[in-house]
Amino acid sequence: MREQVIEVLKSHFGDKPIEDGTHLMDDLGGDEFDIVDVCLQIENKLDITIPEEETFDIMTVSQLLEVVGRHVQSD
Amino acid sequence: MLMGAGGGLWYVQHLKSENEILTLNNAKLEGAVAEQQAVIEQQLRDIETKTDINKQLTENNAKLTADLNLANEKFNKINASGERRDIGNLAVNKPKSIERIERKREQQRARCFEIAQGSPLTEEELNATKKSQINAECTNLANPNYVPY
Repeated sequence: MREQVIEVLKSHFGDKPIEDGTHLMDDLGGDEFDIVDVCLQIENKLDITIPEEETFDIMTVSQLLEVVGRHVQSD
Repeated sequence: MLMGAGGGLWYVQHLKSENEILTLNNAKLEGAVAEQQAVIEQQLRDIETKTDINKQLTENNAKLTADLNLANEKFNKINASGERRDIGNLAVNKPKSIERIERKREQQRARCFEIAQGSPLTEEELNATKKSQINAECTNLANPNYVPY
């Protein structure tokens, strides 16, 4: 799952270094729409559904992985 | 001789009286000149203030125009894979998220207008150097210390 999430991030933001602590806005240059976009792409790629409310506060890669991880396990 | 002296006295009195009138008129004129001088100085100060306000408005207008262009670019952003962002599709699939972002942007836009109308920048706005800290609607205006990276 982690690799697939990183793959989506790289395809969206380009070949920038991505670590758990990487900030989607401050380090990758995204904005709030990018975060929504990335979540949607991940949902489609992993065939999962993430309730929107859970994505509101995602700012870092680790937060994204945590939210996605919850649904990969439960879906 | 008495008549001559009387005439002389009358003449001197007349001169004194005229002199007093002239002195009074002179004082009035000086007062009027000082008043006019004050009015002219006030007008010069007003012109200076208006020039400053005009300059500030011109600068703010240029910043807002730059921010508008930036907003258009952001709205139609292309990702690293060359795909153009489709806000409509995002709004259909993630309506709450897009509504939440738009509400935040609306607040930021309102703040942009406040700043454009002369509201001073807050410490938070002045110290914003990261993308997550800026006002995305008018960064040039609201966050002078932010350097895009």
